[in-house]
Amino acid sequence: MALATVGLGAETKAKIPKVAGAGPRSNGVRQFAKALPFIGPSMVGVALFLVVPVIFVFVLSFMNWSGAGPFTWAGIQNWTSIFEFDNAAHSLGVTAYYVLLNIPLQTVLALGLAVMLNRKRRGMAFFRVLYVAPYLSTPVAMALIWFWVFQPQSGAADRFLGIFGITGPAWLESSLWAMPVVAAVNIWQYLGFNMLFFYAGLQGIPPSLYEAAQLDGASKWSQFWRISLPLLNPTMLFVLITDVIGSFQVFDTLYVLTSGGPGTSTQVMSIQIYNVGFQGTRYGEAAALSVLLFGVILIFSVGQFLFFKNRTTYEY
Amino acid sequence: MTSVAIPAPVKATTTPTSHLAQKAFNAGKLTVFYGVLTVVGLAFIVPYVFAVFGSLKPESSILTTPPWVPPMHPVWSNYPNAFLSDPQVATGFGRYMLNTAIVTVALTVGQVFFSMLGAYGFARLKFPGREGIFWVYLATLMVPNIVTIIPLYTEMHYFHLVNTYWGVFLPYALGTPYTIFLMRQFFKNIPQEVIDAARIDGAGDFGVLTRVVAPLSRPVLITAGLIAFVFSWNNFLWPLVIMGSQSHYLLTNGLANFNAGPGAAGYLNLEMVGAIITLVPMLVLFVVFNRYIVRSIQLTSGK
Amino acid sequence: MKQIKWLPLVASAGMLAGTLAATGAIAPPASASPTVHLTYDLWDPHEEIGYKASIAQFEKTHPGIEVTVNDVAYSAYQTKLQEEFSSGTGPDLFWVNTPWLSTWIKDGYLLGLNKYLKDWHVNLSMYYPSLVKLHEYKGVIYGIPKDWDTIAFFVNETYMKAHHLTVPANWTWNPSNGGTFLQFLKEATIDKNGVNATSPKFNGNSVATYAVTVPNAAQTGWENFWQMDGCHVIPAAWASHVSFNTTPCYQTTYFLNELMYKWHVAAPGTLLGSNGTVPNSQDQALFASGKVAMMMAGDWETTPVSELVGKKFKLGVVPLPAGPKGRWSVFNGLIDGVNPHSKNLKQALELERWLGSPASQKILGAGGYIWPAVKSLDPLFAQYWAKKGINMEPFLQEAHGNVVNWPNTPGMNQGLTDMGTTMGPIWLGSQSLSGVTSILQRAYALANHDLQAAGA
Repeated sequence: MALATVGLGAETKAKIPKVAGAGPRSNGVRQFAKALPFIGPSMVGVALFLVVPVIFVFVLSFMNWSGAGPFTWAGIQNWTSIFEFDNAAHSLGVTAYYVLLNIPLQTVLALGLAVMLNRKRRGMAFFRVLYVAPYLSTPVAMALIWFWVFQPQSGAADRFLGIFGITGPAWLESSLWAMPVVAAVNIWQYLGFNMLFFYAGLQGIPPSLYEAAQLDGASKWSQFWRISLPLLNPTMLFVLITDVIGSFQVFDTLYVLTSGGPGTSTQVMSIQIYNVGFQGTRYGEAAALSVLLFGVILIFSVGQFLFFKNRTTYEY
Repeated sequence: MTSVAIPAPVKATTTPTSHLAQKAFNAGKLTVFYGVLTVVGLAFIVPYVFAVFGSLKPESSILTTPPWVPPMHPVWSNYPNAFLSDPQVATGFGRYMLNTAIVTVALTVGQVFFSMLGAYGFARLKFPGREGIFWVYLATLMVPNIVTIIPLYTEMHYFHLVNTYWGVFLPYALGTPYTIFLMRQFFKNIPQEVIDAARIDGAGDFGVLTRVVAPLSRPVLITAGLIAFVFSWNNFLWPLVIMGSQSHYLLTNGLANFNAGPGAAGYLNLEMVGAIITLVPMLVLFVVFNRYIVRSIQLTSGK
Repeated sequence: MKQIKWLPLVASAGMLAGTLAATGAIAPPASASPTVHLTYDLWDPHEEIGYKASIAQFEKTHPGIEVTVNDVAYSAYQTKLQEEFSSGTGPDLFWVNTPWLSTWIKDGYLLGLNKYLKDWHVNLSMYYPSLVKLHEYKGVIYGIPKDWDTIAFFVNETYMKAHHLTVPANWTWNPSNGGTFLQFLKEATIDKNGVNATSPKFNGNSVATYAVTVPNAAQTGWENFWQMDGCHVIPAAWASHVSFNTTPCYQTTYFLNELMYKWHVAAPGTLLGSNGTVPNSQDQALFASGKVAMMMAGDWETTPVSELVGKKFKLGVVPLPAGPKGRWSVFNGLIDGVNPHSKNLKQALELERWLGSPASQKILGAGGYIWPAVKSLDPLFAQYWAKKGINMEPFLQEAHGNVVNWPNTPGMNQGLTDMGTTMGPIWLGSQSLSGVTSILQRAYALANHDLQAAGA
């Protein structure tokens, strides 16, 4: 933003009205009162819809509620129930499996595409725009289309394989393939978006670094590994953390494609929270599952942050 | 650096030395390059094509013809049919779209307006506890969405807002920390002199905001509006949880519900219609506001 | 500067739109203003046609009452009602299915009707006694029975004739050798080379037509077989625990798995939708397209199935085979629940009275929509379908034989859902008897937990 800085002389500064007030404390109250109309609404929103729920979910995990009727105290019963009856450990494992299927591949592909498009060739902008198109596309709508693609026999996937004489597996009904399909759909949806982050990061690296390395005889691959990658550490950190946190919460695509099935093979934590809470009407247990998920995500984000923090290099 | 006197050594690579062969090799590399990009691009286009084709096929051929084959006789009536469905109960996609539009407009306007107010307060007003309160806002960004769904639903039950429009957009319409964070950065960068000039003209806090800060922040306001609009349009879990009646469904849970009923296996063509109806506004937004979307991504990554 | 002037305007417009929406001012246009407006929720679009005809009669005799019929997807029904009751906007009258019955009684969604039944001089003996009892708890009756259904097999008679097959009358099954039931299923299953399953050359991985579909569902699937071998989901109505942890349960379920994956005579559950629970009536599509010769179904499916089949083949009905404990069928019936907090309680009760009356049930029975709960009206339904060439007698025979209710106890709906998910692998692949046993034991633990959590 190019803003013309207006130079004000001392005389004009003196004419700027000051906030009137007697002493420091009433000054503070006054200041707060003046600020209230501005920060008030968001304070109400944050308090009611963010702070209170975070506290309440902890409390609720020690209570019982069925969606109607009274709240009753449950002690730690919910915390044992979620492991004994609600497949908490299994769901965590399935979620971790999904993250493993989704993140490494998506990050590598996004980085690869960003490197490819980081050239001054014709059509680069077009491809960049094209790849990002799925980002805005309503995940539920896309999931419905992919659901059709992976329908046994009549869907595009099986028909395509059929051209080569291969009988496709039951895809979404196969406990082996269901999760990879879900991961693939998610990669398709967010690949372009992540690519843009890496692209922005690459664009921020001064070309002089590459030129110097070129003159030293470094190959393109070596340049990538020794220059681009280390300097992309902040971007990588950001992308990985947001993607992992996002993956732990995957819901829309999964709900439409498999709803946790077949059996419990794609029953990630978010689906279980939904199932236990809104189908099973055991809101206390669902709250406990939510807190458990929150804890896992926090551990992950902190761990990821620390890992990359020590490796970030900024000097160049 | 290499000394000039010694002639450059022959590179120990497999690059052919003849000029023509070099050109051919480069052309080959270029073809592979664009080839890869095109194949990837196809992967991104193909689902939309399938959906458009499928939405125009009759029930009899949606399962029997390959999805990449265009419909022989496009059934254009699929679209108005999906819109209307059951006029008396009005649970067609027309109704879902109306519901989504209402909720999305309310959410977007509210979120942008109140975030603007909040961001201005945190950026340019001095008051006790400013940093502390803002830190609380930032802290809530660490809380994943799924974690608050259960307690939020319980709150809405208590307020009797379950299954209402208010229940869907209210949690997001009073300004959100993320949007406030984005706007605050911008507002902080506005030079004090410009503000002072407005104050000399007699503007109070609100006047400074409306006359100076907001117009100068048009890009971030538009970006925030886009973020809010897209979020609301695509939001699924919360509407799924809070909206029980079919007549209140938004596009997202209406779509998912379509796939849940008996006989849905035969309705795939209508499901594709629903998907296209939901996707078109987003794709239009994407094309029109492409610059802002890219900018929002850059803003988010802090570049 | 001028861009900002519209901002407060847009903000107010947005808030106004939201408020209008919330207060319901934006609503589908109403017809000429009636005195009282009732909402009536149901989930079956085929029966809906019959109900609309009956309600048209009601509106004629009750000018000043207009009824809006809401067709809600079955999978969303329970959630919808719970959320509407939560915000005080529940429908005036609504269908009640047995898995939700006891939970809704406990949560206060249903009005007790004893006083009104007395005032209306309703003669309860004209209804099937088990249905009246089903909807009674601690002496309070919560609805007038209005219909019933049992389970049997739809048969592709054209296919049977073409292969010179006749479904045996009085066929039997048992978990050890399958009885005449399994024998017939083998004869009726034909692979892509035209070889049937009795031959050693039969290729179970390349089947052209399966003999039967048995879904992963209580009402239209395993509960019937369980009962026939002495296995009960719950020991009695309103029980506090489930009871399907006995050997007959394991044996029978293993038998069903063998039908699909050992003898390949039943369509594999992978063709029956998520976990084999036919959420989108996949079995109807399979049957109508000729991929299976018989389909285990409830009589409410007659309308959609006959529409799907059309003129493709002749549709017939045969009763279930008899198991070691005889032939049993799940017998279910619905009521219309009355919302105790209805803003138009008086009119809602009028509608309840009408829909429970023989006059209304006559319309539904004679139109072929569902068996009426008034015993004497049964012939109407049978006659309607007899005229279309479909013999509905087997359903009626079963209703007069051994019947078991869909399990009715608080938390059972959640229990059935968990059972469906947990038992999914039994429908999706081959299992050993010990595999089936441990799966069912897991389902047993989950179902018990659901019942306890619901305060059964």
